[in-house]
Amino acid sequence: METSKRQFLKGCGALIAGISVYTVTKSPLAENANTDASQTEVKYAMVHDENACIGCNACVEACRETNHVPDGVTRVKIERTGPFGNYPNQSYRFNRVSCQHCEAAPCVRVCPTGAAYIDKDTGIVAVNSDRCVGCQYCIAACPYQVRFINPETRTADKCDFCQQTQLSKGLQPACVLACPTQALTFGNLKDPDSALVKLLKTKPTYRAKVDLGTRPKLFHIQTIDGEVML
Amino acid sequence: MSAFHFEGLVWHWPIAIYLFLAGLSAGAVFFAIMLKHFKLASEAYHSPFVQAAAIIAPLAVFGGLGILVIDLTKPLDFWKILVFYNTTSVMSMGVLVLMAYQVALFAWIGCIFHQGLTRLLDGRFGAIGRLSTRFIQMLVRQEAAITGILVILSISLGAYTGFLLSALIGFPLLNNPVLPLLFLISGLSSGAAATLLGGVLLRGNPNGIEVRFIHGIEIPMILVEIGLLFTFFAGLILSGGQSQVAALNALGYGFWGWIFWGGVIGIGLTLPLAFNLWMKVSADRKFTYVAVTASFSLIGVFLLRNFILYTGQMTGV
Ligand code: SF4
Ligand code: SF4
Ligand code: SF4
Repeated sequence: METSKRQFLKGCGALIAGISVYTVTKSPLAENANTDASQTEVKYAMVHDENACIGCNACVEACRETNHVPDGVTRVKIERTGPFGNYPNQSYRFNRVSCQHCEAAPCVRVCPTGAAYIDKDTGIVAVNSDRCVGCQYCIAACPYQVRFINPETRTADKCDFCQQTQLSKGLQPACVLACPTQALTFGNLKDPDSALVKLLKTKPTYRAKVDLGTRPKLFHIQTIDGEVML
Repeated sequence: MSAFHFEGLVWHWPIAIYLFLAGLSAGAVFFAIMLKHFKLASEAYHSPFVQAAAIIAPLAVFGGLGILVIDLTKPLDFWKILVFYNTTSVMSMGVLVLMAYQVALFAWIGCIFHQGLTRLLDGRFGAIGRLSTRFIQMLVRQEAAITGILVILSISLGAYTGFLLSALIGFPLLNNPVLPLLFLISGLSSGAAATLLGGVLLRGNPNGIEVRFIHGIEIPMILVEIGLLFTFFAGLILSGGQSQVAALNALGYGFWGWIFWGGVIGIGLTLPLAFNLWMKVSADRKFTYVAVTASFSLIGVFLLRNFILYTGQMTGV
């Protein structure tokens, strides 16, 4: 009995040793899943002004074109509620639905391969297509339901603030440039002189589902149009 | 809104089958170990029930993993899950547990059936045969350690099937601390049922000590399961808000309401419980009795997996 106990303990020891080796070999991309990247110089965020938005969908089309998003899926949606009031004084509310670039991103936390990751230098939540196996765990984990499988690459896809297509060329995201009413403002949260920070300091904003602890970086300026809803 | 297709649905029935098979495998191994430890000792290898568990456990875990891989959008890239790890990912940790579990499982099967295996290898296959015999002898010396590790791993595997879903914070019905426990217990009971069913199909004695032993554990387990289900839904309803909506939605109406009350509660828990209680008094157990009770439990657990997976994804916060 004594020897078998000792063997059992040895086995457990081996198991623990194995687990610690595993911790060391984990993926470098996944490492920063929830660490606070507050040391960096750049942290991108976006504001959608629901008062200025007219629901024209120019942002959606520009995104599709710039990022080659296939038909049937989209990185950004403008959701419309209403109409409120009586003709001819009818109004709608518009709400931008796209990746919120969560600071504590559930999609990044659950991804088994580290394909979903937070870019340390910009705070952008992105997908490394080469690593993605298409398990769809991230799609189920995202409380904002903005991720999808791109039918062409067969990997997870979503808004990345045009990281590859526009930011790398020093341009603003495609949706921001396309918006006819300047309802979208994109910029660096760490830069006190940016239009983004100035806007955030002058108007009250809200963010969706903050109670889940995701710390999203897509801000909304609420419309005062329409009617009081409970 | 149809029962199998609705807005926001990400994971379909293959995932439910995967969760079912992983839990079943863990449960079968768990009960085979308990049978050997408490009842059969060195006689374990010729018990049809232990043999059944030794066949079912690997097949179920392979089948489950196979389904998981086929369900990826890039099945040929599945090796990336094995190479790249993410410690915060339940899936990544679960895959690790699954790999270790399979190694321990085969080592344990080697220990249990070492006489037969050694006889099979004896004087055959030349050097490879001799080497394998030595390896098996080494395993037998380590049997206590292997068994201990396998028990831990099988319980981890059973609980993992629940943690995989409870990590989804957007769905109150899934993001629930009771879920891993519920899946662990129901996984164990499905393993017990599969072992019984396989055992009697392999011409095991339906009135033997193995059946009596497993049935003895089954009653408390069913009661615990009912208790967990009650806590699960009572907790959701008392939380109010979207949790309440999700719980009432799942239990209240339509297809999934029927599956829950008729399938999970009725066929899966109440009937096996009733059969078991009734069997206590009247003595002799027959083949049909054991087979039918076991099949009912299996159906119940399978429906529970589907019920939780689908209704869980119906109501986001
Ligand atoms: S909104 Fe969804 S996809 Fe975007 S970072 Fe948050 S969890 Fe991930
Ligand atoms: S679908 Fe791709 S990005 Fe999403 S969790 Fe799976 S491997 Fe990661
Ligand atoms: S382009 Fe601008 S105004 Fe048009 S829908 Fe998009 S955010 Fe609204």
